[in-house]
Amino acid sequence: MNFSRIAHNLNYVFSVVLFLLGLYTIAVKPNLVKKIMGLNIMETSVFLFMVSIGMVGSGNAPVVTEGVKPATMVNPIPQALILTGIVVAVSTTAVALSLCIRIHEHYDSLNAFEILGRDELF
Amino acid sequence: MSFSSHYSILLVAVPLAFAALCPIVGMWKRELCFPFSVAGAAAACFFIFSLWGKVISKGVVSYTPGGWKPPLGIQIRIDYVGLFMASIIGAVGLAVLVYSWRYVSRELDAEKIPYYYTLYMLLFASMLGFVVTGDIFNMFVFMEIFSISSYALVAITGQRRAVRAAFKYLLMGATSSVMVLLGIAFLYSTVGSLNMEDIAGRLAMGGYTSVASIALVLFLIGFAVKAALFPVHIWLPDAHSIAPSPISAVLSALVIKMGVLGILRIFFTVYTPGFAGIEGTWTALLQAIAWCAAISIVLASIMAIIQRDFKVMIAYSSIAHIGYILLGICMLTDKGLTGGLYNILAHALGKGCFFLVAGIIIYKHDLRRITSLRGLGRSMPVTAGAFAVASLSIVGLPPSAGFIAKWYILWGCLQKQHYVFMVMVLLGSLLSAIYCFRVVYYMFFVGSHSAEIDEGPATMIVPAASFAAATLFFGIFATLVLPSLSSAAQALLAG
Repeated sequence: MNFSRIAHNLNYVFSVVLFLLGLYTIAVKPNLVKKIMGLNIMETSVFLFMVSIGMVGSGNAPVVTEGVKPATMVNPIPQALILTGIVVAVSTTAVALSLCIRIHEHYDSLNAFEILGRDELF
Repeated sequence: MSFSSHYSILLVAVPLAFAALCPIVGMWKRELCFPFSVAGAAAACFFIFSLWGKVISKGVVSYTPGGWKPPLGIQIRIDYVGLFMASIIGAVGLAVLVYSWRYVSRELDAEKIPYYYTLYMLLFASMLGFVVTGDIFNMFVFMEIFSISSYALVAITGQRRAVRAAFKYLLMGATSSVMVLLGIAFLYSTVGSLNMEDIAGRLAMGGYTSVASIALVLFLIGFAVKAALFPVHIWLPDAHSIAPSPISAVLSALVIKMGVLGILRIFFTVYTPGFAGIEGTWTALLQAIAWCAAISIVLASIMAIIQRDFKVMIAYSSIAHIGYILLGICMLTDKGLTGGLYNILAHALGKGCFFLVAGIIIYKHDLRRITSLRGLGRSMPVTAGAFAVASLSIVGLPPSAGFIAKWYILWGCLQKQHYVFMVMVLLGSLLSAIYCFRVVYYMFFVGSHSAEIDEGPATMIVPAASFAAATLFFGIFATLVLPSLSSAAQALLAG
């Protein structure tokens, strides 16, 4: 086991941990708001992963100037993608939270099991 | 450059602009939203159908918005499959939009109507964007737009079950989207490109096998949820049955097909067949899809038979038909692929008609139970007749489009000598005959609702009846579409 390699790639390790944590929360926690939090954690882990891909240690901003070689520039594309990804995540969360409000109005509960118990399935 | 060279971007941009302007029109005059969105959808249809000539002569129409050259800039790339799907989206989307006018004006609160048309146009435009784009991240963005607008459209009535179904749909859909995004991140980390053809070229150079196969698994999970394939189909029966009927029709006829198209794009354009390095994973995953699809067919047909609610039954039948489409595709022969693609058309028309008929019955009589449909054949002859004709296509009897599709799927199975799959397809058809003709039986041969003819409004009848007529038309004149589909299948198999 090469520990120094792991130590140099801690951000990837954390993104895996966050991804699994989020997936676990979505699948297991009965509270709907916690499920949304899990979704956000999962999305954040992917963002962390993508930003890490483009990282260059002590790199420069990707602007062509005197004395800055392209090899030392940070890759801007993953950051641009993540910006779009964040917008998507925010709008999904907004829709999910507004649905949560409606569910609470109708069922007086945010517990998935109680909500399922309230309506018999056809 | 002439104006017509911009059609490939306009077919996405125009409905998107109409979606953005729709709330403003709604603030000014609420009644204008409907004609305004019809104009947008009709313009998109015009652009789509005028592209056919170019695609047939050239094979692929490529367009670079803003003049950014493909590997870096976003490329619009319209091939046979893309244009075929875009044509279905355009035609079905426009017809359902016309249908929803009367339905929505009664079923929804007046202040929600501008939102409905806005979300509908957003859904329409983003599906078109999804099928024509050649950039994998752009595809993800369009996928998110149509997903979010369909979550909102499922919940638009605000009733308790609708909200619950939409939430369930959202949880599964959003999780699957994250999987797709992670797959894109993995691919980008290895090949450093987002253009699908460019990725395929760089992957073919080899050397990234393990990461590429993990990304493939993530894509498969993500798109399988969107397509409602067997183990991850559980969101579909709730969401499709509780949504307003025109939305059910669009979700069932078009939105789940986007998951199928995603699988097609990933498996055939990005990871080309016979791609060196991960052929093992590629073949194993396609085998897995084929088995899941075959189980979908049988299981969903049985589930459809035991339902008492009309719309839930139709929703389960959609899962079975996604199974037929994917099974045909997974046979990896030109006949099987042609059959799978043809079933996209046949199912869009047949299932669209089913949900529209269910909507007319709910609009007129508020009936949802199958047993309560007795005698409707006498009081609503056109509606019930449209259902009967469309059920020929759903079951797969000649001379309907569904027959041609299933014939080719079976032919594909025979070419690969997968006799188990053939049996399952035939069993599925038999089971679908039970659930479809049970409804036809109640409509035409049991009791009498009322003897007088009491049909729904014309703007609702005409779309439903024209879908039913189109299933017959594409069954009898299948040769109009089949040559271009088999060249599409050959292009996909060639990679």
